[in-house]
Amino acid sequence: MRSTSTLLLLLSLLGCKDKGADSAAPVSARGAAPAAQPPAPALRRLTRSQYDNAVSDLFGDGLVLPAKLEPDAEVEGLLSVGAATNAVSAYGVELYEDAAFLIAEQVFSDAERWGALVPCTPEADDDADCAAAFAESIGQAAWRRPLDADEVDTIAGVIASIGAAAGDFNTGAMYGLAAVLQSPSFLYRVEHGSTDGDLRPLTDWELASRLSFLLWNSVPDAELLDAAAAGELATAAGLEAQARRMLADPHASDGVRNLFDEIFHLYELDGISKDPAVFTHASPDLIDSAREETLRLMEWLVLEEDADFRDLMTSRDTFVDRRLAALYGVAAPVEGGFGLVTLSPEDGRRGLLGHASFLMLEAHAASSSATLRGIFIRDKLLCQTIPAPPADVDTSIPEADASSPTLRERLQTHLEDPTCASCHQLTDLVGLGLENFDGIGRWRDIENGATIDPSGTIDGTDFADAWSLGEAVSNHDAYGPCLTEHLYQYATGHPVAEGEEDLVDWLALGFSENSHSLQELMVDVIVSDGFRNTGAIQ
Amino acid sequence: MSRFRTSRRRFLRGMMQGSGLVCVGLPALELFSPRLAHAGEAFPRRFGMFFWGNGNRPDRWLPDGEGDGDAWALSEELAPLANVKEKLCVVSGMSVKVDNISPHWSGAAGLLTGRQVNGDDDSWTVHNETIDQRIAAEIGGHTLYRSLEIGIGSSSIFSYSGPNAPLSGESDPLTFYARLFGDTFREPGEEGVVDPALGFRRSVLDAVMGDIQRLQGELGQADRERLEQHLDGVRELELRLARLEEDPPDYESCARPGEPLAKYPDVEGRPQLSAKSRVMADMLAMALACDQTRVFHFHFTPPLYRGLFQNVSDDHHNLTHNEPGDQPEVHEITVQVMEEFAYLCEALDAVPEGDGTLLDHTLVMAASEVSEGRTHDLNDIPLVFAGGDTFKRDHHYRSYTQDNVSQAMLSVLRAMGVNATSYGEDEAMATDSLSAIEV
Repeated sequence: MRSTSTLLLLLSLLGCKDKGADSAAPVSARGAAPAAQPPAPALRRLTRSQYDNAVSDLFGDGLVLPAKLEPDAEVEGLLSVGAATNAVSAYGVELYEDAAFLIAEQVFSDAERWGALVPCTPEADDDADCAAAFAESIGQAAWRRPLDADEVDTIAGVIASIGAAAGDFNTGAMYGLAAVLQSPSFLYRVEHGSTDGDLRPLTDWELASRLSFLLWNSVPDAELLDAAAAGELATAAGLEAQARRMLADPHASDGVRNLFDEIFHLYELDGISKDPAVFTHASPDLIDSAREETLRLMEWLVLEEDADFRDLMTSRDTFVDRRLAALYGVAAPVEGGFGLVTLSPEDGRRGLLGHASFLMLEAHAASSSATLRGIFIRDKLLCQTIPAPPADVDTSIPEADASSPTLRERLQTHLEDPTCASCHQLTDLVGLGLENFDGIGRWRDIENGATIDPSGTIDGTDFADAWSLGEAVSNHDAYGPCLTEHLYQYATGHPVAEGEEDLVDWLALGFSENSHSLQELMVDVIVSDGFRNTGAIQ
Repeated sequence: MSRFRTSRRRFLRGMMQGSGLVCVGLPALELFSPRLAHAGEAFPRRFGMFFWGNGNRPDRWLPDGEGDGDAWALSEELAPLANVKEKLCVVSGMSVKVDNISPHWSGAAGLLTGRQVNGDDDSWTVHNETIDQRIAAEIGGHTLYRSLEIGIGSSSIFSYSGPNAPLSGESDPLTFYARLFGDTFREPGEEGVVDPALGFRRSVLDAVMGDIQRLQGELGQADRERLEQHLDGVRELELRLARLEEDPPDYESCARPGEPLAKYPDVEGRPQLSAKSRVMADMLAMALACDQTRVFHFHFTPPLYRGLFQNVSDDHHNLTHNEPGDQPEVHEITVQVMEEFAYLCEALDAVPEGDGTLLDHTLVMAASEVSEGRTHDLNDIPLVFAGGDTFKRDHHYRSYTQDNVSQAMLSVLRAMGVNATSYGEDEAMATDSLSAIEV
C-alpha cells in the first residue's frame, strides 16, 4: 500500500506541473531530505489578521481594533504571497498612522495596560533613561527582536522631546508607542538571514517570527523570544520543541483558521451577493455562519483530532448553528451557537464539498456553478492549473427549457465545442457532481422538474454523487501533495521555487507516510532547510 | 474611524490645556497663511476617472450622428447624461490594442496603462502606473491629497501607482467624510487653532522615515522599491500635516458637506450602489471645490464586477455572459451606471467657480474595460469625457477604423499638462494624440 501510493504521489506531484508520468523508480521510504534552495528574501507585510492578533497579544484583548487597514491582496493564490509582493499605498500609510494612534491612545488611557508596558518610573518629563528602557522593552516585543542603539535612540528621542514639550513623560511615551507601531520593523517581517551567500540561514529572531506567524498567525510570545535569545532555535530539535509546544497552545487555533481561510479563499465570502428572491435562506448572517463552520471544522480536525487530512473530504462531523441547521435540514444545537453534529448518509452531505461556505462562494448570485466548483476542486484541492477561458468567445449557456432542464444539459455546448471542451470537461464534469446543492448549498433533488444526475468521473475514478466525489478527491494522488504545496507557500511567503521542488515532493511523501497528519507536516516543514533558510539577496 | 479621530483630537486638546502652543524642534512654519491656489490660474485644473466594470451593450450605447451640437444625439444608454450633454465629448469606435489574453484584465491594463498585463492570467500585475496616477504625479502635489480613490461596488479598484503597487478605493462614505471633513477640516475663513498634536505626529513620522531608510540599506532591489513607495506615503502624510497648520485655500464655493449615514446596508441582497455613489459624489465635489485634491478615481464597479444591481435577475458579470439574446438586463445595468455618472457630473456642475462651474475646470473620463461583456470585446471601447476646457464639447467623435484608444489617452495626458511624447507600448503605443477631439 505504502509503496504504491508513494509512486502515485511522486507521479502526481510531477503531474501537477505537467512534467509527464515517466519518472524514476519508487522509493519505499523517503530517505534523507533533499537539498533546498529558497529564492531571494522578501519583506512580508503583516496581513490584516496578523496585525490584529499582534495588537491583542502585545497589549491584551479588548481593544478597539482599526476599522480599516491597507487591504490584503492575493498573489499566486495566497494573501501571504501578496504580503511579500505588494507595496503599501499612500492611503495605507495614512491608515497605519490612524491605527497606531487608535491603539496607543487606548493603551495609554488604561492604567493597567499602560502600567504593564512602562518598565520604569520617569523622574522627569524628558527622562532619557526611562525613555530608552521603554523603547527597548516595547520595541523588542513589537519588532520581535532586540533593538540596536540607533533604534533605541530614535524612539527614546521621540519620547523625551514630546514628553518635554507636553510636560508629561507618559504623553511622550504614547507617541513613542505610536512610532513603534508605524515602523517598518513592526509592519513588515524581515527574513533576510544572517550570513552572505546563496543559502542564508535565518537569524534566531527571524525564525521565531516565522514560526509564530505560521502557527499562531501572530507575534512570538516571551517563551519563544527567550528560546531565540538562548540560541535554541538554531537546531532542528530546538525548533521542533517550540513548534510542538505552540501547536498545543490555544493560539494555534488562530493559525489553523487563518491557514485555511487563505488557502480556500473563504475571506472572499465577505461581500458576495446572493439574491434573496431566489435563495430565500440567504442572508449576510448565513454567509458568516458558513465561513465559521468550515474554520471550526478545520480547527477541530487538525488540533483536536489530529485527523487524517483526507477526512476533510469525507467527515460526517461538522459544526452548525441555528441558521446552518435550517439550511442543511438537521437538528439545531440545543445550546445555541455552534455545535458539533454528525450528518447521516440520507443527508447526502459530508466533508468540505458539502459546506455552505464553499458551495456559496463557488456559485453565482442567483444560480449554482459547476464550472466554478470544478475549478475550486482542481485548483485549490488538487493544485491543477485550469487556464482562463479565451477572452474573445461567446461563453453563454442556454436558458433552462423543456429540452435542457438541468445544468448538465445546458453545459453541453461547453463540453462539446472543441474551444471550450478541453478545460470545461475538467471542471464541469467534476462540478456537476455537486448539482444537488444550489447556489447557497441547500439540497435539491430536482431542477426545473427534472431529476439531477450528479454522477461523473474524476481522473479515472467514477463517482455517483457528492458523497462519493468527496471520497474520490480525498484519494486523488494530488490531494496530499497539493496541501503540502499550499502549506509550504503559506509558511515561506513565496511560490515554490525550482530549487525547492524536490523538498516539497519529499515533504508530501512524509505527509502521506504520517497518515496525513497536518500537525506532523507542519513540524516537518518547520525543521526543513526551506523554512530555516533564505536565498541570496538580489 | 471618525469616532477615533474625534476622540484622539479631544484627548490631545484636553491634554494640552494650559500648556499653550508648544514647539518640539520642528522647523518654523508660516502659520495661518492661506495655502495658495495653483499659481497663475484662477481655478486649478483637475482630472477624474469614472470607471465601471463589464462594459455596455454597444448597439444601444452608440450615439446617433457625429460632430457638434445638434449633429449628434444621446443613445439610450447615454440618455441619463442629457443635462450635461453640452459638456460631453463621446469617443466611439476605438480599440484597446493589446492581445486579449486575460479576460477583463487585458482590457483594463491596456486602456489604463497602455500595456498588456504583467504576468500570466493566473497571477499578474501591471507594467506601470495607471493613467490617473500618472496625472496625479504631475498635478497632485499642491493639495492635501495627491489623489482620492473611491470604490462604490468594491474597495478593490484598478488603479496602480506602479507594478505591485495597487491602490484601494474608499467604499465607506462615513470614513471618507471623516477623512476629508473631520476635525482637521476648516472652511475658508473659519477660525482655527493649530493643534500641537500635528507637530508631535510629524516628529513621529520623522522617526518612522529614519527607520525605513535604515532598513532599506539592507534590502534587495525589489524590497527597496517597495519601501520607497511606503516612504513616499509617509512623506505625503507629513506634508499634509504641515499644510494643515496653514489656513485652507480661499475658494468661495468650498463648504463642509452634509454627513453621510453610518451604514448603507444591502437591501434585498443588493448593495445600495446608487445611494452610496451619490453621497460620495457630493463629498467628492466639495473635496475638489475646497482644493483638497485635484485628481480622483471614482471606481463605480471594478472589472469583472459580480454584484447584484436593482431590477435584474442575476449578478452583473454572470448576466453579461449568460443572459441570452440582446441582453436587456445588461442594458438596464448600463443605464443605471450612466445615471450615477450623470449624478457625479451634475454634482460637479452644480458648484459655481468664477464664470463657470467646477465641472468646467475638471476633465472627467468615463470608461470600462470591455465593450460587449459577453465576448470581452476590446473594440469600440466605451469612452466619454465630461467637463474641462481642453476637449471639444457637445461632441461625438467616431473612429471607423478601430484606431488605437491610446491616442485619446495621450490627449488626456497632454490636457493635464503631462509632457508625454507617447502613451503605451507595442501595438498599443500612440505617439499622436487624438487631435480630432482637442480644442
